[in-house]
Amino acid sequence: MANILLNVLIAFLVGSVLFGLQRKIMARIQMRPGPPVIQHLLHTLKFFIKESSFPKTAAMPFYIAITAMLCVIWVSAVIVGPVTEGSLLLIFAIYAIHKIVEHNAGSSSGSPYGKLSCVRAVFSASAEVPLFAVLIIIYFKTGTMVISNIINFQATNGPLIYSIPLAAAMFFVLILSKAPYSPFAITKGKDIISGYETEHFGLLRGYLMMSESIAWYMLLWVFLTVFIGGLSPLWYLVGMVCLSVIVAFINATTPILSPNHSIMMQVSFAIVGIVGSLVLLLY
Amino acid sequence: MDKLKIVSYLILIISVVAIIYALLFNLANWVVYAISIIFIPSGILSFGLIVMARGPKDEEKEKTREPFIGY
Repeated sequence: MANILLNVLIAFLVGSVLFGLQRKIMARIQMRPGPPVIQHLLHTLKFFIKESSFPKTAAMPFYIAITAMLCVIWVSAVIVGPVTEGSLLLIFAIYAIHKIVEHNAGSSSGSPYGKLSCVRAVFSASAEVPLFAVLIIIYFKTGTMVISNIINFQATNGPLIYSIPLAAAMFFVLILSKAPYSPFAITKGKDIISGYETEHFGLLRGYLMMSESIAWYMLLWVFLTVFIGGLSPLWYLVGMVCLSVIVAFINATTPILSPNHSIMMQVSFAIVGIVGSLVLLLY
Repeated sequence: MDKLKIVSYLILIISVVAIIYALLFNLANWVVYAISIIFIPSGILSFGLIVMARGPKDEEKEKTREPFIGY
């Protein structure tokens, strides 16, 4: 239990600081001073004591329960990932439920912006779930879906990022789509205010931000573990910072795409990634 | 104290007790996972519902009456 609590706490703190780092780098690229690196963490905590009220149109208690659902799935991811090094299929299931949470958080609030975001969540799932076909490529290469076995495979055969680089690129696009301000972040596009989070303010926003920080940490952890191998905590941190910096550069220099373009681009990445990886595996 | 606060206190107490129980006693793995998955999120949410600030009653009515102003 102590192990789980510690891992959840680390995931929350590291994820929050990495989000803050991303905003700082994006601001510097755009010639702005930007907020302090710990701003995201401070915002998350601050929202807990802010005045909160619940919209009359919100579908209670679903409107509150859906925020708990996001936390439940990412705490589960921490258990499946760093704690037990379990199956990648469970991580896939958790990611799929994340899309359902985005959809339901938007629809439960009663806000038109939330509803538009919930439609976009379904739309984006059609592109992001094919990107998760990366799992089958990993299975073809390693013969297993269990994270601990994949780590062992890499210990003897070298990091998977060298043998199936297109699969790593596909997973990176998936990570990119979960970053705030990313070109693929259509569910939280500024044209629909804050998307599915528009009517979740105060405490519930803080709660959602906390879960999103854990989600960000977990996606980076899965990428590093599956494509580079089991690392020491320091190298995990270095890897996560590097990935967040690359994501920040992309986000700072790329506008959010329109939903159609975002989906088409992600599907194109998925097709090139799957076909290319299969060709690489055959030859 | 309103209904939401009472329920939140109850959930927080149950969550904290369950987490401490799992910390102190040697339980089966699946029980520890179940406790973590259910009671860590519910503990955080109920704590938040207790500490969040609430506006005055009359103001709150005004805030929730016209949620669609602006579109």
